Amino acid sequence: MAHLAGTPTLETERLILRAPALQDWETCRAFMATERARFTGGIRSEHEAWRGFGHIVGHWALRGFGSFVFCDRATGATLGLAGPWYPSTWPEREIGWSVWRDEAEGKGYAFEAARAAIAHAFDTLGWDSAVSYIDPDNARSIALAERLGAVRDAAAPRPDPTDLVYRHPKPGADA
Amino acid sequence: MRYPDDVPVLETERLLLRAPSREDWPAYRALMTSPRGEGLGRPHTESRAFRDFALEIGHWVHFGDGPWKVCRKDTGESVGLVGPWHPVGWPENEIGWMTWKGAEGRGYAFEAAAAARAYAYGTLGWDTAVSYIGPDNARSRKLAERLGAVIDPDATELDPGTLTHRHPSPEALGIRESAA
Repeated sequence: MAHLAGTPTLETERLILRAPALQDWETCRAFMATERARFTGGIRSEHEAWRGFGHIVGHWALRGFGSFVFCDRATGATLGLAGPWYPSTWPEREIGWSVWRDEAEGKGYAFEAARAAIAHAFDTLGWDSAVSYIDPDNARSIALAERLGAVRDAAAPRPDPTDLVYRHPKPGADA
Repeated sequence: MRYPDDVPVLETERLLLRAPSREDWPAYRALMTSPRGEGLGRPHTESRAFRDFALEIGHWVHFGDGPWKVCRKDTGESVGLVGPWHPVGWPENEIGWMTWKGAEGRGYAFEAAAAARAYAYGTLGWDTAVSYIGPDNARSRKLAERLGAVIDPDATELDPGTLTHRHPSPEALGIRESAA
């Protein structure tokens, strides 16, 4: 099977984080066809969903970093996507996330994955700041950003004027 | 295969076909955000262009084949992207091409597309190949004709209005022997 060379794998208590591969497509496709995908660009045709999924590894190749799929350590099941995101029109480096499986919601997986990705961004990639752009109606993501310790930055530029910007603290900064 | 290490390099008389890389992004962006980008059926905001360029690389990573960047042997300069294209939702396997602004009109796309098609038939084992071209894209329609492709009115359309040009078969091109 084809894959992108030289991408890291992160491990947490319950999860493995790695670059996306074709085996993750089915889970992503199913997610994109549901109402739950409304905050990631809306419900799309299968081809549009593929464009969304297929370009994530291209971002990795172009930037040298990118978003990880997070998988259940025990079963290997793909649960969602979390991590660094910095396409050319983003004002600054983002940590994004989405949970792809219904049954993986509400169990703290996205929190666990995002926390590992934030640590990776600051410690390994050497970022000095990170934000998350969140739709104001996405209460679940707002709650997660707050649980991660991120705070609203009303002055920061944003890709979409309606987005909220949450700025993450540097891990360990106030420990 | 591992990307980009295992991407095969194809060689023609004047060109080397290699794995696309971040060095090609400025030329891709310039093309896609210009009026010509519209003729390629692509949206032309920078944000869509970035996503589409990343998807060109994603095609290689996920399928093990895809569009090569086409480089002149004499200068090393990249002149465009040419090669296999069959994302999820595509009716058939396509040979696609695009030439950066300023590199058109020298037959590079023809030379690269012929090599890419031979690779698709010979190495990837395709039995047939199409090219989807907007009706107003006279330059690409002419190139398809020069490659021997003809409009196939019975093919499943990519979208209404886009023309499906069908390439000669591998047997007709002498790449594979006919089964008879």
